[in-house]
Amino acid sequence: MLEIKNLHARVEDKDILKGINLSVKAGEVHAIMGPNGSGKSTLSAVIAGNEHYEMTEGEIELDGEDITELAPEERAHKGVFLSFQYPVEIPGVSVTNFMKTAINESRKAQGLEEMPANEMLKSIREKSELLEIDRKFLSRSLNEGFSGGEKKRNEIFQMAMLEPKLAILDETDSGLDIDALRIVANGVNKLKSENNAIIVITHYQRLLDYIVPDFVHVLYKGKIVKSGGKELAYELEEKGYDWIKNEN
Amino acid sequence: MSKYTEDDLKVELENKEYEYGFYTNIESETFPVGLNEDIVRAISQKKEEPQWMTDWRIEAFRAWKEMIEPEWANVHYDKPDFQAISYYSAPKKVDPNKTLDDVDPELLAMYAKLGISVDEQKMMNNVAMDIVVDSVSVATTFKKTLSEKGIIFCPISEAIKEHPELVKKYLGTVVPQKDNFYAALNSAVFSDGSFCYIPKGVRCPMELSTYFRINQAGTGQFERTLVIADEGSYVSYLEGCTAPSRDENQLHAAVVELIAMDDAEIKYSTVQNWYPGNKEGKGGVFNFVTKRGLCEKNAKISWTQVETGSAVTWKYPSCVLKGDNSVGEFYSIAVTNNFQQADTGTKMIHLGKNTKSTIISKGISAGKSNNSYRGLVQISARADNARNFSQCDSLLMGNNCGAHTFPYIESKNPSAKIEHEATTSKIGEDQVFYCNQRGIPTEKAIALIVNGFSKDVLNKLPMEFAVEAQKLLEISLEGSVG
Amino acid sequence: MELKEKLISSFMAFEEQIDVNTDLHDVRTSALKNFETQGFPTKKLEAWKYTSLNSVLKNDFTVFPKKESAIGFSDVKKYFLHEIDTYKIVFIDGVFSSFLSATTHDGIDACLMSSALTKPKYKLVIDEYFNKVAMADDSLTSLNTAFAREGAYINIPKNKVADKPIEIMYFSTGSEAALMVQPRNLIIVNENANVQIIERHQSLSGNPVLTNSVTEIFAKKRAIVDFYKIQNDNDEASLVDNTYISQKEMSTVKVHTFSFGGNITRNNLNFYHKGEHIDSTLKGITILDGKQHVDHHTLVQHATPNCESHQNYKGIFSDKSTGVFNGKIYVEKEAQKTDAFQQNNNILIGDKATINAKPQLEIFADDVKCSHGCTVGQLDDRALFYMQSRGIPKKEATALLMYAFSNEVIESIKIPELKQRINSIIARKLGVNMGFDL
Repeated sequence: MLEIKNLHARVEDKDILKGINLSVKAGEVHAIMGPNGSGKSTLSAVIAGNEHYEMTEGEIELDGEDITELAPEERAHKGVFLSFQYPVEIPGVSVTNFMKTAINESRKAQGLEEMPANEMLKSIREKSELLEIDRKFLSRSLNEGFSGGEKKRNEIFQMAMLEPKLAILDETDSGLDIDALRIVANGVNKLKSENNAIIVITHYQRLLDYIVPDFVHVLYKGKIVKSGGKELAYELEEKGYDWIKNEN
Repeated sequence: MSKYTEDDLKVELENKEYEYGFYTNIESETFPVGLNEDIVRAISQKKEEPQWMTDWRIEAFRAWKEMIEPEWANVHYDKPDFQAISYYSAPKKVDPNKTLDDVDPELLAMYAKLGISVDEQKMMNNVAMDIVVDSVSVATTFKKTLSEKGIIFCPISEAIKEHPELVKKYLGTVVPQKDNFYAALNSAVFSDGSFCYIPKGVRCPMELSTYFRINQAGTGQFERTLVIADEGSYVSYLEGCTAPSRDENQLHAAVVELIAMDDAEIKYSTVQNWYPGNKEGKGGVFNFVTKRGLCEKNAKISWTQVETGSAVTWKYPSCVLKGDNSVGEFYSIAVTNNFQQADTGTKMIHLGKNTKSTIISKGISAGKSNNSYRGLVQISARADNARNFSQCDSLLMGNNCGAHTFPYIESKNPSAKIEHEATTSKIGEDQVFYCNQRGIPTEKAIALIVNGFSKDVLNKLPMEFAVEAQKLLEISLEGSVG
Repeated sequence: MELKEKLISSFMAFEEQIDVNTDLHDVRTSALKNFETQGFPTKKLEAWKYTSLNSVLKNDFTVFPKKESAIGFSDVKKYFLHEIDTYKIVFIDGVFSSFLSATTHDGIDACLMSSALTKPKYKLVIDEYFNKVAMADDSLTSLNTAFAREGAYINIPKNKVADKPIEIMYFSTGSEAALMVQPRNLIIVNENANVQIIERHQSLSGNPVLTNSVTEIFAKKRAIVDFYKIQNDNDEASLVDNTYISQKEMSTVKVHTFSFGGNITRNNLNFYHKGEHIDSTLKGITILDGKQHVDHHTLVQHATPNCESHQNYKGIFSDKSTGVFNGKIYVEKEAQKTDAFQQNNNILIGDKATINAKPQLEIFADDVKCSHGCTVGQLDDRALFYMQSRGIPKKEATALLMYAFSNEVIESIKIPELKQRINSIIARKLGVNMGFDL
């Protein structure tokens, strides 16, 4: 589904990614771990098409199609979803209105009619229950005054609504207490299917107890330095990142 | 597509044509240009007014001659030559007593272009409308339904003849003839406008609406609106304005007076979309308007305005909170683009005890425009326990425009509680990217963010108007987004 | 004779008295001309809408005191920050007092404006800085420029940290029935230099005094300036303080204004940015009673990118006192990434006090964070009751709440002894005997 080859990227003249290779197939869950500053968030931003980051070399293909020249919204229309580490506040725009706009823009891009209101409401009801979200919450301004847990739950709620092909969860566990973590992970697991893929970006192994990865990759200084199964995450937790640092 | 930035949007905005810039070829009767006592008398005569009205106008005209055009506002323009304007222009074929079916088909076609179908108004059953073209009221709908409740809703020229006792008693009591330069001019030369009286205890069953249109070239529009809500009554009043695109500046100097008696409530909403001039800053309407409401005991007046048009706007809808426990509100969105200049805000004059006022102002500046909020909150020594809350937010789009905030706060009473907050910001790149990532294109994202920014005010508009206002915001700022 | 005419007609005599070079003569002449055209400001001017000098100007002021008065240190010791060692530049009725002063030329210059204006060795400095940031079209500033003769001259060389605070004191003795003085201060803080300055005007009699002061401060690259103004004069003393600050890149200038007394006090505090990464702070506490009137007029002119400014003014007004706050943040088109904040909080006590506030923003750059907030209110009744129910008498409880209200500003005073001094002035002002060691 996702093929990344020799990806290099920089931000403000500073090289961050120095040759990433990653292959993700439908139905798979990949975890990307690494110490602070290793380039984890840059990788997610580059896949989503954030223009703040400049891609200098390499290829990103989604279902065999090169997406590197596409605008972020076009990538979204093709099924790329990024759960932000720091979701952005948009005052005065309710969660519902935002979702309605997002869904209908995607449908428009795919040549579909707008989603009928009753269908939209039904979907909102189902997905908010899945993430144990209070309905009142949906009429609040997007992310404004949300607690850390509410922000992350809202991200996964949007993922549920948009039903992406490829979801990238960027540090979704940061700032979550154990209950919120359980709800979020539970939501993600229910959304997992044979047809989609998930990339979990995290610093800690904790989240991976809940969302079990098929593959674990360790990112260090802009390169994937180790790949393995889920046991790699435990090894990393036990030995700490110094283990990686010392080896490289 | 992938590189659609705010800069591209700005270019698109600047090239955006004014949608209401058509001119309708209606046969008009227009006075020669210039202003003197004879013209004032002639207007009065034309309107078949009683002597007291003529005298009232002459008094205003004499005062105006001695007055100087104000210069304190943060706007710069070539002053109009008051002797080069025609002070009376009326579509010829209109007879206000005829039914809608008799209205000039050209006029009806014009309304259709404006998005107002007068026929449909009959069906909609919740908006009664008075339409003023150039200076004359051309159609008032729903008169009969209203009159059953004792509500008077008619052109002010008609009210002067039919209800002189009401007009005589209240005209000029809130905005005196000599209040300011433009109010004095209006008092001398106003040719029409709307009049509305809601009797004691009556809740007006539908929105009352006036649609203003400047059509004829070289004319000024000077309408006068008087709304009287008697004790315990309620009315919601809507006002919309458009004008054709012309290279020269057109002058609009209106006066609106609201009187809310004990326990009455008036909601006054305006969507102002006068022609703003072209992208080089040529042409456009000078909108110099005096709007003021008087609140008696327990009364409430809410002003809501969406200002997207006019080359120059000078406008401060105000509330005189005379009665104890009275409430004044001001909700405003002002959008300026290209070379538009707006100096707008409100005055909340707290005279009675326990009076409350709320001010929410949202300014959006784009292009090379300048957008100023100017407001006064005045608490008099007798106004015990007065409360005010003000919030003024400015959004800047691009780096060639200006946002200005000039709040005046004057308190002479130690029990007053006043809070004023103001912020200036721009649309964050992170906000746009967040929307993009969810599949929303930049143009739409900006529309969404601007709408969110303005939401507190949009929410205050009556439903029928809110949709129109939202659309207008998108047209004024979002280019082709619809 | 009206004060304006008196001043204009005495100009020639004034210039004859002083040793003046031609450049300065030109500056003075054009300044006088400007004052002549504009005259004293009236309420018709937007900038003076809420402050009238009329009642003050009708006094028959002596503009050049004839008598020289001496005062003993013990009489005025309490006005100095005597707990610590400081440099002192002291003036009595506008004339330098060498007896009360402790000036220096050792490493730094903390001395007299009159020497700087007349001695050849300062000519280059005067040419470069004198009247260069002061607003040339302001009438009262022009008036001061025309008659500028005496005041403090402070020059801190590159990389030098002034080893102790500098106190600038202006005493008036009452030897004249009514006295007008026009001090002129010039403060230059060179690259990477650091100084703390305290300025105070104090009348020692009940005779009317009008002070029209101009201070120019130049903070060069990385300079740090801490300036404290103490205004606790008696009820017949009026002050117009015009302070102009020019800041170069990475400099930090903080001005604290403590206004506790005087008849009419008008503070014009203007900051101009001439480089990036500048930090400007304007803070004030105003506590007034009787018929006192204080008008704070501030301007921060953001002209360069990446600078920040912080304004925080607290006011407590009782009896028939009047407070005015007119603060302006101006952000020019070039000044992207500006962070500018302004806060003005006021408490009204008693039933005749007035507050007029006009916090303004004028923004021409889009990528900025600017905000202002302004409140007018009362002390929290519930908090008062809560404290009373714990046995704290109402007066003390009120004082504690007011102190807490002003604390944000007091906390940023860098000189501990000065903080202590301000605390005790506040306690006295509030009529309580408390230490406020919160």
